[in-house]
Amino acid sequence: MEALFNGLGALYLAKCDAAKTGQVFQAFLPPGSLVRAAERLLQDKYFLEDICAVDCVEGYVVVYHFDHFEAPGRLTLRVLVPHDAPTLPSIASVFDGAEWHERETRDFHGVLFTGNPNFIPLLIDPEMADCFPLRKEEKARAKAKDMLEAGEVIFVSPAFTLMTPEAPTEVKESSGDQPATA
Amino acid sequence: MTTSQNNDHLAGDFYTQNFAKTAKDGNLILNLGPQHPSTHGVLRVVVELDGEYVMRAEPILGYLHRMHEKMAEVKTAAQFIPNMGRVDYGHALGWNWAFVGAVEKLADIEVPERAEYVRVITCELNRIASHLLWWGAYLLDLGAFTPIMYAFDDREKVLDILQIPTGSRLTYSYFRIGGVAQDLNADCIRLIRAFIPWFRSRLPMYKDLVSDNIILRKRIEGIGVIEPDACRRFGATGPVARGSGINYDVRRATPYSMYPKLDFVVPTSELKDARGRYDVRMIEMEQSLRIIEQALDLMPEGEVLVKGAPKPSWKVPKGEAYFAVEGARGKIGAYVVSDGGKNIYRTKLRAPGFCNLSLFAEVSKGTILADAVAILGSLDLIIPEIDR
Amino acid sequence: MNAIPAELLRIIIGLVAVAVSVGLIGLVMVWVERKVAGHIQRRPGPFEVGPSGVLQPLCDALKLVGKQLFMPNGADPILFWLAPVLSFLPVLLLFLPLPVGDGIQTLDVNLGLLLILAFSGLAVLSVLLAGWASNNKYGLLGAARGVAQAVAYEIPLLLSVLAVAFVSGSLDLAQVVKLQGTWPWNWNIMTQPLAFLIYIVSALGETNRAPFDLPEAESELTAGFHTEYSGMGFGLFFLAEYANMVVVCSVATALFLGGWHGPVLPGPVWFVLKVSALMLLMVFARWTYPRVRFDQLLVINWKWLLPLAVANLLLTAFFVKLAQFA
Repeated sequence: MEALFNGLGALYLAKCDAAKTGQVFQAFLPPGSLVRAAERLLQDKYFLEDICAVDCVEGYVVVYHFDHFEAPGRLTLRVLVPHDAPTLPSIASVFDGAEWHERETRDFHGVLFTGNPNFIPLLIDPEMADCFPLRKEEKARAKAKDMLEAGEVIFVSPAFTLMTPEAPTEVKESSGDQPATA
Repeated sequence: MTTSQNNDHLAGDFYTQNFAKTAKDGNLILNLGPQHPSTHGVLRVVVELDGEYVMRAEPILGYLHRMHEKMAEVKTAAQFIPNMGRVDYGHALGWNWAFVGAVEKLADIEVPERAEYVRVITCELNRIASHLLWWGAYLLDLGAFTPIMYAFDDREKVLDILQIPTGSRLTYSYFRIGGVAQDLNADCIRLIRAFIPWFRSRLPMYKDLVSDNIILRKRIEGIGVIEPDACRRFGATGPVARGSGINYDVRRATPYSMYPKLDFVVPTSELKDARGRYDVRMIEMEQSLRIIEQALDLMPEGEVLVKGAPKPSWKVPKGEAYFAVEGARGKIGAYVVSDGGKNIYRTKLRAPGFCNLSLFAEVSKGTILADAVAILGSLDLIIPEIDR
Repeated sequence: MNAIPAELLRIIIGLVAVAVSVGLIGLVMVWVERKVAGHIQRRPGPFEVGPSGVLQPLCDALKLVGKQLFMPNGADPILFWLAPVLSFLPVLLLFLPLPVGDGIQTLDVNLGLLLILAFSGLAVLSVLLAGWASNNKYGLLGAARGVAQAVAYEIPLLLSVLAVAFVSGSLDLAQVVKLQGTWPWNWNIMTQPLAFLIYIVSALGETNRAPFDLPEAESELTAGFHTEYSGMGFGLFFLAEYANMVVVCSVATALFLGGWHGPVLPGPVWFVLKVSALMLLMVFARWTYPRVRFDQLLVINWKWLLPLAVANLLLTAFFVKLAQFA
């Protein structure tokens, strides 16, 4: 599985327990290699399940769920985008179905996808499409590593601190802080 | 008379104008819906017509958008279950199951065996009801007025059965985190046992009278061919994918509940067209009957709700979980992320119809308007599920 | 004061009788159609108003009359209102040459068949006008379909009728009926079964009845050419459709099914019975079959009905000539 991500500059690769969280593998990617990863996944005959964003303290974690028709097992791609500039490249040129999922993510969280062929509001009325209902208030946000499954880490880039328990910015309640569901 | 009126609205709204920008001169832009007999509710499709040929089509969503995912943020997990019945009125129990299953996975709750069987039985009954609803409505799309009455007659029987344990007829809120709300009573089981042979005897009649009808065959054979590759790119699942020859059923692919113990066939069709999807759904109804029959025989006595099942004020443990079930329209997924509070931090609902409908723009290209309607119907759309 | 000519009196009485009977037939047919549809669909149909709901269509008609006449923004006011009237008026004319019984005929012309075929062609004009004048895209599409369909189906219809005219050597409906006999084997359907079949299929297409109801295909075009009509505008289209059905079934009865001929019962009763049977057939077809697609409809017509009708006509002509020589 990790061979899929060779040369993509993945930040974090981990095997996960499908019985616990329903996914078998997860990867954090830099925004730049998203499209190439999608191309490889399509080549490997994965299909796109959905795209959604989770609003965390560190930014929006945009989650791409993929599954396979012949060899089922959910593969999760995650990308972190900052709150102040939530922009990602679109994968709609690879997985056409992503167009709608990306537009939905824009409606709900205001994450922008450059290169989406028809980037207009999908579910929310265009006249009030800039309300982004699922964005959370500052104090309501939780940390990504508190919630997302850490899994059995295969690779972690030194610069990547989102999922590591001893993040340098961490000050409070570091003792009670377990990797989310492990 | 006409000059004094304000005609600004005739230019179309935001979506029509956006669509018309790239339209060819002389082509007709037609808004099918949001109020249109064959869009089953409030779907809107803007089409560019050259004569009766659809050059381009773009579904416009959002007319039934209720922001269930926001409601999930402001309700506790148990309070959110009734929402699931409203997401998809066709296969409400499938959605019940997806959400409840995701929370159970997150909290690692074991469901009693009897409850699992009850879930299988009610979910499959609901699938039959959903397919019947599709069948009748689809034939109505194709201009046959009568089958829907027969379909609703049968569906009524299923609703009568489901009404006993669930207490409602359409928007079920029956599953609980850790089981189901109440057991199937003797009366209900008797009705189910009576329903199986009765409905089984109806299916051949539907085949003779409707499925083999020459006009129907000419209307759906070879129409709306979807290649397996397109299913992959758009994420189409359920009967749409199986009608394209992809043997993918969540009940078999990522087995859950009691399905591994049950013997049933996942029908697929190599036709890849509307006919293929039609056949798959017709066979699925038969298979659902088989599943129900076996589940009734295998069902042990016991509790239907786990001891110490979560109370409404229960705090959902930290973590994330994705749980998918096979709904009548495809893969229903619920992705929950919790920060340990009473309310789930983020709930993402994966609607199969959403992905299936996104195929429509590609498949309908170059077809005749009547075929576009036939294709739209063959995707089995339930708009509230797509809009959520 | 000169006495009113007998022929004129006859036409006036006939016209009044036709106008009344068209209205009545419309009401009865609405009830019959709904009852038949109901029983086909395992439900009772209308049953609240009057015994077995026979007064239901009357209530519906009253409701339609009482409704506000509504015209969409940007529609052509003259053509918009002309269309329903134009759909209904020619139908009244079509009733004139129908031979209901021996000698019971409003207008005894020796070209009665021609008159019917000529005036029934006017119906398509109203479809076109209605669709065009509505300023509605569905209406326009419905009108385009209606015209293409009517043009297509009138030809085989005409050819199948001609075949019978060849055999009878007359375009006078009464004359055609007279040449047939009491028993079914004396009817034209025995000598012209193919023409009958072609006629019935074309008649379904001509009257826009399901499975050929494409100009108003509700699942595609909402209501096609009459999308924008409400109240009596719609009511007239509705009435015209039923009246048209009666006409095509009556012509079929006169041409193929021996008209008023029949044992025991008086002529008009037989005529009405045969027409009713054909109408029931059309009602059954509507509630049983899905709708064909537009191109399929044209294929059925141009590739099957038309060549068959031509072949049938040629064969008929050949045998008629042969019989003359023999």
